Amino acid sequence: MINLTVDNKEVTVEPNSTILEAASKVNVNIPTLCFSDDLTVYGGCRLCVVEVEGSDRLRPACNTRAREGMEVKTHSPRVREVRKTLFELIIASHDISCELNCLICNRQNSCQLKDVAEDIGISRMCLTPGADEERESDHSSHSVVREPNKCINCARCIRKCEEIQGVGVFAQASRGPETKVTTFKDRGMGNVECTNCGQCVVSCPTGALHEVYHMDQVWESLYDEQKHVIVQTAPSVRVALAESFGEEPGTIATGQMVAALRRLGFDRVFDTNFTADLTIMEEATEVVNRVTNNDNLPVLTSCSPGWIKYIEHFYPDYLQHLSSAKSPQQMFGAVAKTYYAENAGIDPEDLVVVSIMPCTAKKFEASRPEMNDDVDYVLTTREAARMLKSVGVDVCNLEPEKYDEMLGVSSGAGDIFGASGGVMEAAVRTAYNMITGVNLQEIEVTPVRGLEGLKSAEIPVTDDLTLKVGVAHGLNNAGIMMEKIKAGEEFHFVEMMACPGGCISGGGQPINTERSWREVREKRIAGLYDIDENKELRLSHENPKIQKLYEEFLQEPGSSKAHKLLHTEYVTRGVPGT
Amino acid sequence: MLQERKFLKGPELRDIDDYDFPGFQKALEMGPEAIVEEISKSGLLGRGGAGFPTGKKWELAYQEEGENKYIICNADEGEPGTFKDRYLLDERTLKVLEGIMIGAYTIDADTGYIYIRGEYSRQIEILEETLQKARKAGILGEDILGSNFSFDIKLVRGAGCYVCGDETSLLNSLEGMRGSSRSKPPYPISKGLYGCPTLVNNVESLACSAEILNQGAEKFASMGTEESSGTKLVSLSGDINFPGVYEVEFGSASLQEIIEDLGGGSQQGQEIKFIIPGGLSTPIVPSDNLQAEYSYEGLQQAGSSVGSGGMMVISTAQELSDILTRIARFYMDESCGTCLPCREGNKQIYRIISEAKYAGLTVDRLNLIQDIGDTMQEAARCGLGRSAQLPIGTILSEYKEELIEGGNLP
Ligand SMILES: Cc1cc2nc3c(=O)[nH]c(=O)nc-3n(C[C@H](O)[C@H](O)[C@H](O)COP(=O)(O)O)c2cc1C
Ligand code: SF4
Ligand code: SF4
Ligand code: SF4
Ligand code: FES
Repeated sequence: MINLTVDNKEVTVEPNSTILEAASKVNVNIPTLCFSDDLTVYGGCRLCVVEVEGSDRLRPACNTRAREGMEVKTHSPRVREVRKTLFELIIASHDISCELNCLICNRQNSCQLKDVAEDIGISRMCLTPGADEERESDHSSHSVVREPNKCINCARCIRKCEEIQGVGVFAQASRGPETKVTTFKDRGMGNVECTNCGQCVVSCPTGALHEVYHMDQVWESLYDEQKHVIVQTAPSVRVALAESFGEEPGTIATGQMVAALRRLGFDRVFDTNFTADLTIMEEATEVVNRVTNNDNLPVLTSCSPGWIKYIEHFYPDYLQHLSSAKSPQQMFGAVAKTYYAENAGIDPEDLVVVSIMPCTAKKFEASRPEMNDDVDYVLTTREAARMLKSVGVDVCNLEPEKYDEMLGVSSGAGDIFGASGGVMEAAVRTAYNMITGVNLQEIEVTPVRGLEGLKSAEIPVTDDLTLKVGVAHGLNNAGIMMEKIKAGEEFHFVEMMACPGGCISGGGQPINTERSWREVREKRIAGLYDIDENKELRLSHENPKIQKLYEEFLQEPGSSKAHKLLHTEYVTRGVPGT
Repeated sequence: MLQERKFLKGPELRDIDDYDFPGFQKALEMGPEAIVEEISKSGLLGRGGAGFPTGKKWELAYQEEGENKYIICNADEGEPGTFKDRYLLDERTLKVLEGIMIGAYTIDADTGYIYIRGEYSRQIEILEETLQKARKAGILGEDILGSNFSFDIKLVRGAGCYVCGDETSLLNSLEGMRGSSRSKPPYPISKGLYGCPTLVNNVESLACSAEILNQGAEKFASMGTEESSGTKLVSLSGDINFPGVYEVEFGSASLQEIIEDLGGGSQQGQEIKFIIPGGLSTPIVPSDNLQAEYSYEGLQQAGSSVGSGGMMVISTAQELSDILTRIARFYMDESCGTCLPCREGNKQIYRIISEAKYAGLTVDRLNLIQDIGDTMQEAARCGLGRSAQLPIGTILSEYKEELIEGGNLP
């Protein structure tokens, strides 16, 4: 162990800890910008510099190891002077202005520049703010917009995409003040191997990256008397939306969210969990068939559109391994525009299907030609929060209400879709029943839960069959899993989620600048398992509304009608420039 | 009258047939530990600018464990005003080669790189030919001179930016990445090229090492002063009559003598205003301080440093504002753009200075440059940003009145 003092407070840390870690142990807050607890250290912004007794210059706290006997001053006059100048330099390079953009910026509530300004206590500017030249925004993607004028070159997006997602869409180009973050040959995010996962968005400290907004279109539909506008809410939204209204991560706000969306003017409020149950029925059926026939094993899950685009780019040879089942969002769209429209007596032309998703890739998914506009608009959790705020609805102060029945009843298996391992667990619960005719005794498949990047489990089913399942989350881990599969490691069924931790920390979720990634993820995940645990109904195949849907409309899981509506195909994309 | 002291300099030495690498042969006899001791004893300090003791560096690299180790000869020579490595590559090619081989043998590297400034076309040709001949002659390759030691060298042409001379940026560039610095730690010695232990030395340091084995550490240490052993190649340029590369024994001369006796004094008898003694990243020495002794300690006392030995002499014929603008522009353009203080600081300094050229400098603006400069020096990530404002800062403080009164403005 290593003993040092930070601002005269004694602290003991593990060997190899940084000064930043030591400081946080004694609750000293050192401003940071390029640092992120889930990424490699970059040392670019230098805001974290501190004075180390005996050192000729200041040292970056994020990249300096604590040493025995070190005396660190984190807010000495020398440090504060330097930090103020650094901050001025950032602002002078950033396209920032109260009149023009701070008030309408997507990050008005989670701008880390504002946090840092407050931490530093800056009250005077000597440099004139403003970027030198306008840089054009990148609107090439269906999911993510990049506004380089707001970029401060912290490289968090670059590192996130490369280290956590294993994709590497961004790089820095040019040098000096011309240095910019860009994509291969400046082609734009929509024209390279970007998976639309939005992990770069949630890592960005400024408003330089954000989702492609669908808010205006949704407003227009809501205001249009002719339109019947229904909304579906993804599992992870209910444990994150409240964060935008000041609550802790993981706060469960299902009923309040439903009430709020009614106030916003949606004609029906439905649940994506309902079609999550439906997805399980279709996918489990497929798994059982394919396992029985040893057909292209392992089966790979298909509900994460970021993962789908990833495999289409990087492992197109394995597309036939993907489950053909559409994602819950798209199953919902397909069922809504047929079954629901028929039952409610609405012309599908007048029906507008909106989803609220923790995900930016869902926007791209909805736009895929294979999905025939079943889902019209996709709002992220953040967009939903902004819309609610703009009509004066404070989600947390509403009386909870229930989902509309027809497409709104779901099992706990649907809820846990939002956590890494959840789809697997839900599918195992149902597949087991399909094969054996009875339910699992212990329905909680705990080995596939949690934040471990790669997980696996063996589930004894019959004397002849032990299901071997794998789980990976974060695309870098998905890549590792694919390499294992390539190398011959055998699984029956593998769940892949593009985002680390699963959809609960998707690219469309509220951005929490106060807490560590790990804490936010753990709390949101705990929220979902809480919901599942407290539900009577915890098995997709026991959902009465799903049973009814099959009886009245789809016949049986895997039927030709189900195939036509609920299954899809994939595209070989490859990697540009290779 | 000051004379050159020739330890490194000598007749053109390029032809493998004329040279039997006595330093290297001696090295093979001595073994790594004795070599490290010899180099340490010589007191040689790195000639690339930072002045780190070469013996110590070799010792650390020798102690590193690793399946692959690399040695890199830093021939990027991008520091403005510096051209002494070019001389060595041109004229003393085999000494440089010998230095690399001795270093490689000492630390047990099987591959070496020469990272050479892209503009040095002639030197690139010379080296290519030399390396080829050396391979043919068995000086490079398997089992060199029957010693069981196998080693080869790759020549890599730099992509033309100053920051790639910084050892960590150089590593990125060699690996095919963008030329931008790496944060330290880890240091190249433990995790350098492709994550392997890597020894990076300047051309002159390596040539010196070869000569130290040839002529003995004692001879080297007997030259110079207590703290500055040996000789230094000085690239003399600017407003003088005989620019060129001169070898100066440390402590044997003042700056004035170097300028007068070797450089032939200022051009057309102009008055000297100041000199930049060690390349563009060292503080200026104003004319009233030219009695300072040429040595690490002498220049430190004069508020500057030996740096790379790129000595630029500036006379009163030059416009201060032009010089300031050019220096500021250079650093703005050459910042790798990774860290904020350097990327944005150099831009703002350039902005203020170039505006001042027409609008004049005010005390406020001067203070602002000072603040930004201090911040860069305190907080930048690599040596480029940390020293970028040294010449500008010292010019501004030395000639403050003149600049504020607008004495130098059109
Ligand atoms: C911006 C910058 C540029 C540099 N350029 C060079 C160079 O052109 N040649 C060189 O040998 N060292 C250069 N250096 C120093 C190297 O980083 C390194 O210290 C040196 O190559 C080590 O060799 P030495 O110990 O033999 O001096 C530069 C450093 C910085 C920060
Ligand atoms: S959306 Fe995902 S894949 Fe695309 S650039 Fe951002 S992090 Fe990378
Ligand atoms: S886009 Fe955002 S995360 Fe990426 S470098 Fe710019 S400010 Fe940083
Ligand atoms: S100091 Fe300049 S050159 Fe060095 S890392 Fe920072 S931006 Fe790059
Ligand atoms: S947070 Fe340490 S350098 Fe940016």
